[in-house]
Amino acid sequence: MTSKDTILEALRANSPAPLERGPLGFTPMTFEDPLAEFRERVVKAAAARCFLLEEGRAASDAVAAIVRRTYPDAKRIASSLPEAAACATFNPDELKDPRSLAGTDIAIVRGAFGVAENGAVWIPRTFRHKALLFIPEALVILLDRTQIVCTMHEAYSREDFDTYDFGSFIAGPSKTADIEQALVIGAHGPRDVSVILL
Amino acid sequence: MSTHSKAAEAFIADSERTAWHNRALWFVREKRDRMARSIPEWEALRDAAAHTKMHTITHLAYYLEMFERNAVANGIHVHWAKDAQEHNETVYRILSEHGARHLIKSKSMLSEECGLTPYLEERGIEAVESDLGERIMQLMHRPPSHIVLPAIHVKREEVGELFERELGTEHGNSDPTYLTHAARKHLREKFLHADAAMTGVNFAVASSGAFTVCTNEGNADMGTSFPKLHIAIMGLEKVIPDYDALALYTRLLARSATGQHSTTYTTHYKRPVEGQEIHVIIVDNGRSRILANPAHLNMLRCLRCGSCMNTCPVYRRSGGYSYSYFIPGPLGINLGMLASPKLYSGNVSACSLCMSCSNVCPVKIDLGEQIYLWRQQLDSLGLANPVKKGIVKVLNTALRNPGMFHFCVRAGRLGEKIAPRGLLYCGANAWGRDRELPKFTSRTFEQIWKEELSSTAAGSPETVPEDSSTNI
Repeated sequence: MTSKDTILEALRANSPAPLERGPLGFTPMTFEDPLAEFRERVVKAAAARCFLLEEGRAASDAVAAIVRRTYPDAKRIASSLPEAAACATFNPDELKDPRSLAGTDIAIVRGAFGVAENGAVWIPRTFRHKALLFIPEALVILLDRTQIVCTMHEAYSREDFDTYDFGSFIAGPSKTADIEQALVIGAHGPRDVSVILL
Repeated sequence: MSTHSKAAEAFIADSERTAWHNRALWFVREKRDRMARSIPEWEALRDAAAHTKMHTITHLAYYLEMFERNAVANGIHVHWAKDAQEHNETVYRILSEHGARHLIKSKSMLSEECGLTPYLEERGIEAVESDLGERIMQLMHRPPSHIVLPAIHVKREEVGELFERELGTEHGNSDPTYLTHAARKHLREKFLHADAAMTGVNFAVASSGAFTVCTNEGNADMGTSFPKLHIAIMGLEKVIPDYDALALYTRLLARSATGQHSTTYTTHYKRPVEGQEIHVIIVDNGRSRILANPAHLNMLRCLRCGSCMNTCPVYRRSGGYSYSYFIPGPLGINLGMLASPKLYSGNVSACSLCMSCSNVCPVKIDLGEQIYLWRQQLDSLGLANPVKKGIVKVLNTALRNPGMFHFCVRAGRLGEKIAPRGLLYCGANAWGRDRELPKFTSRTFEQIWKEELSSTAAGSPETVPEDSSTNI
């Protein structure tokens, strides 16, 4: 008998009477203005920056202006997005080995939607190397401002949610409090995150 | 004296450090409370999370098979391990098949449970912990003292000295930001050179064949970004039905664990990407046995958030190393008893039965109530403390016999007046070791009852004298 069979047999033999799933039993919280709530939590809860893109200006120029103003020292800027065309210095999808991304100052990626209750952005992989989200010194996330959900319930109920191969809800920069509960930004991943709402 | 109180003596000898440890954990507990109050449906969320876990636990075989079927369809390799040994052998076999020598790990209590790191090191494989707290403990050659905050008991100065020795940081610099960034640099090299990555699994979503790993540091994400091989290990209770269930747990986990609305990274792995391989190992190691134990079955709901430790007055003031099981606090007391009452019964006394753990648990596990149950079973398990057992026997005889009871009360009053302190607080009086004995009252309750209360109380209970509450 394989280990799988042994385990499943033990689980079936030992299982208590089946309990039905039952209804959710509550109505999840909603916000009057999910976008305002999201913007506040991105800054306060996730410790990231949040920008509303100026209207009436080419997205590419507006993104470049924010990136240059916020990260004046950045030299290696990775992105394959059209909105980042005016500031990206290389296309990360052309690199074969993700290790070549070491030394990247900024990556500019697209988020699918934001979650108002925790300030996280869902970023399914739409680029070649997932390292792009974690190895740069700063991560810039472009997000359509109409794509904000209130809670995680709403997030996981989106029709197209399960279409990713790899994806992450990212709430701000990498952080730790492992030394005496003192919050330190920049543990292993990006030290700085900006969400730009298009 | 229990193994816990003996071990705790060393910890509490430094009262300033005890107070500091207590404050650090209470700080986390307070953050958790603020989060809970910010969600109007918090209690209903806990109810739904508990119920959904119970539903899953009573359908484990069904959901595990569903998870495997969908994960395999996604291109993930799924392995099953009956126990710790088979788990370790499976990890080693997969690593060997890929010629991997350098494993980068993100925190997993299952790996601690199975003793994986020493097993691999004996076989010449470098296994590096990448969570900052875990890395500190690994460099100190000590186990974690908390399941979410592994180095919560270590002071910044100690980390400074350790990093000066191990990573060459500046002498005397114990600034957390400086030290964290030194570790970032040191571990970045490890991330880039590892040829295999290991993560735990927070939730395995049966309906989709995907699994989720939650971290704040991004260490699991960095770890799995470069090597071809990713091994994810999970206790079989980590499976959940679907994304509706996942919504409940992602809303509760970080808020309960560290008082954040969410972890920085809630990462979902569904299909291996470009040339990578993902292997998931589903581990039993005694979990299917817990399923057959109706009194303690609830332990299988646990999310490993650590909130029961942060709130526990005994854990906060005695530290993780006072417990003999590798998981401390209310969770560890219970899991230790399920693993082996004989080895770990010394922890069940580390509980004041305040039930705070049961009240903060995001999946409403009755942790305190279960500890109380274990205590009642100690005698039948042959593990009762013989001194306490003797005292209870004597009390039993005295309390059943009014004559002897009255004699004991008189003797006690007399002893209180004339016996030397050294005799009253001798070794046999465990209760008096850290406490002053209460004074005998001038009248017993029986005397008060007979002289003042019996006539009124017997006829009409509502006419109990107004000041009666002061006698309770």
